[in-house]
Amino acid sequence: MSRPRQSHVRAGIFWGLCGIALFLIIAPAIDIIVSILAHALPVLKPSLLTQTTAGNQLGLQNAILGTLFLSLGVLVVAGTIGVLAGLYLAEFAPPRFASIARFFSEVLAGVPSIVVGYVGYVALVNALGWHYSYIAGVLALSTLILPYIVKTTELAFSSVPRTLREGAIALGMSRAKTIRKVLLPPALPGIVSGLVLALAISTGETAPLIFTANFSDANPAGLFKPVGYLTGVTYQDIQLPGTATQALAYAAAGVTVLLVLLLIFAGRRITLRSRRMVARMDV
Amino acid sequence: MSMISAPAGKVSAGRARHHVSDTELTRSDKVLRGIAALAAIIPTGLLAFIAVIMIVAALPSIIFSGFSFFTGSVFNFGNLYATTTITHNGITAPPHAVYGALPLIIGTLTTSLIALVIAVPISVGGVLMLNEIIPRRIADPLSVFLELLAGIPSVVFGLWGVAVFGPFIAAHVYPAVSALGHIIPFFKGPVGVGQGLLTASLVLAVMIIPIVASTTRELLRRVPILAKEGALALGMTRYETVRVVTIPYIRTGIVAASLLGWARALGETIAVLLIIGDIYSVPTNVFGNTSTISAWIASTLDGALNDVTGSGVHALAELGLLLLAISLITNLAGRLVVRRVAGGVLPVGRGV
Amino acid sequence: MRTALLGGIAVLGTIAVVACGSNSTNQAASQSGTPKPVSTGNPTSAVTLSESGSSLLLPFLQELVAPLTAAYPNITLTPSGGGSGKGISDAIAGNSVMGGTDAYLSPAQFQQNPSIANIPIAVSAQGIWVNVPGVSSLRLSGDVIAKIYQGSITKWNDPAIAALNSGVTLPSTTIMPLVRQGSSGDTFLFTSFLSATSSAWSNGPGAGTSVTWPKVATEGSASSNPGMVAACKAGCIAYIGVSASAAATTAGLLEAQIENKSGAFVTPTPTTIAAAVNAGAFAIPANLALSLIYQSGAQSYPIVNFEYVAVNTTQPSADAALALRTFLAWAIDPNGGSQASFLSAENFIGLKASVPPTVLNAIVAKIDSISS
Repeated sequence: MSRPRQSHVRAGIFWGLCGIALFLIIAPAIDIIVSILAHALPVLKPSLLTQTTAGNQLGLQNAILGTLFLSLGVLVVAGTIGVLAGLYLAEFAPPRFASIARFFSEVLAGVPSIVVGYVGYVALVNALGWHYSYIAGVLALSTLILPYIVKTTELAFSSVPRTLREGAIALGMSRAKTIRKVLLPPALPGIVSGLVLALAISTGETAPLIFTANFSDANPAGLFKPVGYLTGVTYQDIQLPGTATQALAYAAAGVTVLLVLLLIFAGRRITLRSRRMVARMDV
Repeated sequence: MSMISAPAGKVSAGRARHHVSDTELTRSDKVLRGIAALAAIIPTGLLAFIAVIMIVAALPSIIFSGFSFFTGSVFNFGNLYATTTITHNGITAPPHAVYGALPLIIGTLTTSLIALVIAVPISVGGVLMLNEIIPRRIADPLSVFLELLAGIPSVVFGLWGVAVFGPFIAAHVYPAVSALGHIIPFFKGPVGVGQGLLTASLVLAVMIIPIVASTTRELLRRVPILAKEGALALGMTRYETVRVVTIPYIRTGIVAASLLGWARALGETIAVLLIIGDIYSVPTNVFGNTSTISAWIASTLDGALNDVTGSGVHALAELGLLLLAISLITNLAGRLVVRRVAGGVLPVGRGV
Repeated sequence: MRTALLGGIAVLGTIAVVACGSNSTNQAASQSGTPKPVSTGNPTSAVTLSESGSSLLLPFLQELVAPLTAAYPNITLTPSGGGSGKGISDAIAGNSVMGGTDAYLSPAQFQQNPSIANIPIAVSAQGIWVNVPGVSSLRLSGDVIAKIYQGSITKWNDPAIAALNSGVTLPSTTIMPLVRQGSSGDTFLFTSFLSATSSAWSNGPGAGTSVTWPKVATEGSASSNPGMVAACKAGCIAYIGVSASAAATTAGLLEAQIENKSGAFVTPTPTTIAAAVNAGAFAIPANLALSLIYQSGAQSYPIVNFEYVAVNTTQPSADAALALRTFLAWAIDPNGGSQASFLSAENFIGLKASVPPTVLNAIVAKIDSISS
């Protein structure tokens, strides 16, 4: 039986459109990467890593260290709270409480980052008198990504196969022990990839940091001191005259994209291992 | 996922929880549960804290402007160098101060809407192509670009939009759009250099495509293979399978993904600020310069801080509160549409 | 035991009195002649002078970072941007030690914050740049520019512009006025100039770091001085601070000659800027807030300003106060921060070279008043 010509044509049009759609997704990504690299080229030297943005040096040391330290702080604050919260929602919470807590967590995810920045400025920088500080920046960023860690952690624990839990109950293990020995290993890759994702998101933030950590030309100097970060260099230097500082703005953008790439690949490897591990655990 | 255990479809993510009413909790269990419970309350606590601060900060402005906040088209901080002040409804402000947010409300909703309308079909279409047609060997590296887009900082998007993308489409695409102006008057206008409402909306679309696309990919993975194979067995082409089996299955999930994208578009600040022209007006055509709530707050906050009466900052807080309210309401409305929570879906990308 | 304690207190007390006393010996001011020395020096502990604010001042401050620490190893300057408005509010709130601003504080701000001062450290100016195809020399007046930004003059070959430029063929290109987004010191200077030259403007949008711009269909905006340069395509007119003049020239833009109060048409050069300072700064109010806009004098350039640093004259510690005084005094010293090479890189001119002695004394006295 031959297919009516019409449906071939329709299919062809459909996939043609889909192909255009795919092109429209890929093309901007490539274009952005190429633009950044092209503009950053004049300043891509090893001195980027050894010098800071202070004065007329054209380095990114303070910004790179600042971004890394901010990520570390966010991991500690949002990571701890988020994983524990996700654990609670998956393992301990009565269903009613769980759905309410989950709802509010998702609403928190919808708070615009400028609002978080403003609240951080009013409450932390001014009212508490912390002034522009690393810790205010960490708290603002943590607020933004906390919902994502809660969600991915809860998901990771919920996805552990039922058989494993039932086995633990049959063995008479306490909840804490069950979580630690039986649930955590298969859930861990999912948790970690959620953390990696949240880190990638926080690396790209600018607005909340401007109002809480301001910017510093010095390497990270203390909890209550301002700190530099890569997106800050891009935002600030693009507003200055001078071809060298403009190139530095693009260089900072390039390093940021590089960091995100590294995080993406790390996340992928972990997710891959997680899938293999869970599949192997099916007994 | 588990191959044998519970009946197919029942072990859906988010439901595999066992209730411990029958197992006793040891002391260390209780400690763990206590600490974890505290952690679980924190997101709610943060939300309440933010809401309270915004309401307290916005209250003077709500009293000062009243309803004209939503209908007025002029946002003027007033003469900050004057030696006198004006008082309205008991609140003092600099002379000539007027806070009307209509252009921002329109700008915010319009840019986000256009971005969503463009991003969703492109994301779904592109991912379908990636999943169904393109061979795995090529599809996997290609999907890296998707995740990369998600991680590019917003300020970079803004830069690219102003320096590269804007001028490019202003020169090559906009003249065609303007020609459509004969049919739709809003499309007709001086094309400009690539700033404005449409460019900002397009860049926003590029920014939210990764979210919608990644989510759609996860959704596609969960389409039961049996249903698809059944369709193929019936002699359907891939296109028909997609139309008849896949799309209905992922429909509600796409709405959930769109909500994620909508949330990001609403809250986007720096990229929009750099592209949209930041002129306070309701644009008369699609290329016009305007602003959004987030962009306006970010660009005028430091100036507002110089208003000694404080009413400038209060007005911006009212703007922030409005944005928060819009975000909340659309979130709730979207959830009503999505009956079943698309729990198995990973959120990707967020931010400034 | 008790005697030792009392003796110790007495010794400490004496040291304190002597230390405070050495400050007050500098208070005896001579209002004319050479300015008296400010008590400066390298503080005993490391002090970081954080600064935020004006993007016009930022490149100049960045040049000063290394030489400052070379001269005074315990003082580190960390400048950042954010705009003049941010600078002022950061200084008032104590979030930065210094707030860089092209605009002086408002009377209300001085009144609410009695210990805040704005101290000039250099003189800057602002150019009006255009991109008019085929034109290599252009004259404009404040009144004409105000009409352009109000939308009543829309084409470059308008009679009002032609009247100022006899002999020049002006194209019929549409004018595209550019404005700065957010709150900007450059906007303050530009709108102050327009207010001084056009009564319609001063009664309308007025002057300020951010104003309600009249609706002009073709207007565009940018977020910084380089942004203005980049956005200035054919037909545009933009106000750009002199520290970005090199970039504007490289981009092929033309600097317009602006009509000053005496009717001459000038562009910002060290001579014309200094002339404006001379004419305008013969006296300065106690709070040092002085406008140098639209001064008289055949050579005066009309859009000139002091670059201010907003500081709190009460610092948390003696070392902090010493570091701040030292930096400010060094910054205006022609052998220190105000060296010719630093200034000319930004097209600024130095204070000591341009202001009369009485004004300089007032500035120095203000620096000296910074204490703990």
